[in-house]
Amino acid sequence: MIAWINRKNRGWYLLAYLLLALLVFWSVFPIYWMLVTSVKTQAEMYSKTAVLWPTVATLRNYDEVLFRSAFARALGNSLTVALVVTPCAVVISALCAYALTRLRFKGRRLIARVLVGSYLVPGAITFIATYVLFARFGLVNSLIGLMVAQTAGFIPFGTWMLVGYFRSLPVELEEAAMVDGANRWIVLWRIVVPLALPAVVVVAIYSFTSSWNDFLLPLVLLQRREVITAPPALTYFTVLDVTYWGPIMASSVLMAVPPLLLYLFAQRWVISGWTVGAVKS
Amino acid sequence: MEHVGALPAVARHRPRDLFGPDWALGWLFTAPALVGILGLIAYPFVQSIIYSLQNVRVGGEAIWVGLANYQSLLVGTNSGGFVNSLQVTFVYLVAALAAKFALGLVSALILHAKIRLRSLFRVLLFLPWAIPGVVGAQAWRWIYDDAFGVINLALFQIGLIERPLLFLAKPDLALWSVVAASVWQGTPFWTMSYLAGLQSIPRDLYEAAEIDGASTWQSFWLITLPSLMPIVTITFMLSAIWTTNSVQYVYILTSGGPAHATETFPMFALIQGLRVYDLGMAAAVPLLVAPPFAVLIYLLSRRMLRQDA
Repeated sequence: MIAWINRKNRGWYLLAYLLLALLVFWSVFPIYWMLVTSVKTQAEMYSKTAVLWPTVATLRNYDEVLFRSAFARALGNSLTVALVVTPCAVVISALCAYALTRLRFKGRRLIARVLVGSYLVPGAITFIATYVLFARFGLVNSLIGLMVAQTAGFIPFGTWMLVGYFRSLPVELEEAAMVDGANRWIVLWRIVVPLALPAVVVVAIYSFTSSWNDFLLPLVLLQRREVITAPPALTYFTVLDVTYWGPIMASSVLMAVPPLLLYLFAQRWVISGWTVGAVKS
Repeated sequence: MEHVGALPAVARHRPRDLFGPDWALGWLFTAPALVGILGLIAYPFVQSIIYSLQNVRVGGEAIWVGLANYQSLLVGTNSGGFVNSLQVTFVYLVAALAAKFALGLVSALILHAKIRLRSLFRVLLFLPWAIPGVVGAQAWRWIYDDAFGVINLALFQIGLIERPLLFLAKPDLALWSVVAASVWQGTPFWTMSYLAGLQSIPRDLYEAAEIDGASTWQSFWLITLPSLMPIVTITFMLSAIWTTNSVQYVYILTSGGPAHATETFPMFALIQGLRVYDLGMAAAVPLLVAPPFAVLIYLLSRRMLRQDA
């Protein structure tokens, strides 16, 4: 398959580049359109002909979103939650993955089974009971409640990815360190985690983005505007049947920036890490 | 250590012999993860089963009703809504998976071949995946807009339509609009999996096939596709679970409307829970759909654990 696109094979060659052009258009256009809309003037946004490239760019929508709406607050809440969830999820996952790959104890296999099983339990089944549980402990409308729920939700995936990576590391270095008197705690944080840094970074990025993007949990757990996070808050610019498209596109762009930057920064690792964790063959 | 030889009967009952040499540390290190999983995944899971057998409302007393919620969903007052949500989910799932399967395969085959600027194209094709789901949904809602959406404007300018197409408000069109948007976001995951699979196919297989005179088409059918099957199976199962249970595209684009045309079962459950406040019913809906997923989850976890032996 490697050589199926070459100039000798004119038909395939043209077909491949044509398909590629279509796929690029399909993948990029919605994002482009959102970006362009966010800087358009009212006149060009609601013009009767599609304006592909605005004649004047304005930051009015961003001004509206950031300084004259509740959305800035929601972005701040999202950031706070994601920045707390990420280190907690990484540390808990690393501890668990280390125990599962390096320590010998009864129940290890059972724990591995529980992990994989719970990774696959969909949130659509558990959200009602989570809500009731949190209501009982006064954790509804609380950012701390959301942090706890998201951390727990991320652990199965985070641990599973790290288990795969830890297992591929040679144990000799760790054994040598332990002969020299290092304890397990030091071995984990000074040797295993630094060696597994690519995987740890990927897990950190995933936990950040999955917390940042989470829609269902904040929708269910948070109702007060002071504590809402950005994903459900995007709907604030739709009032009854009227949607304020300028602000909505501007706030969407703002929300897309952090995960996009993380992805561009670490795309090689993220992609390979994803396939290692999910579909290692 | 000398004691071990002297007192074998006692030694056999020491915890480390019963629970393994690292039992204390092992349980200590896994405890935070286990508490989280048991408390916030396993417990809510079991609790939903209990709620589904009760009449529970927010702030109200729970009353045991046996299988009444299930009965209502299958043959009673809610059966219309439930059966409809099953049909919608089925169409949504089959269409979305088929499209992601095909688009992902084509994307991966092109990205895997020797094309120019390959890494740039890969970044571009993966962009939808890096965008938050809610943002993608809002972008598509704007594209689909009746009066000022870019598709309607473009079709109008070319002269293909006289009146705008109501992408999200016309019952027979809305579901396909939602499917297209979710395919847009979900395809890169398939592409990624295929790429990983393609990279693991040994090159000499193709070289051997070429020597034997196989055409490009034949080597695709006889080598590429069969070699991709294991990865396709896992991707298919994961994607089926996620696609069915993700609610954000439906919620943001149509909220299940018009006239329940896009009401997948998670959306139906969400409406029962958050709008009707009937928590027992909301818990029963996904559980009633769960058996086929339980099979999927069982198969998938066996596959994922097999790598671990």
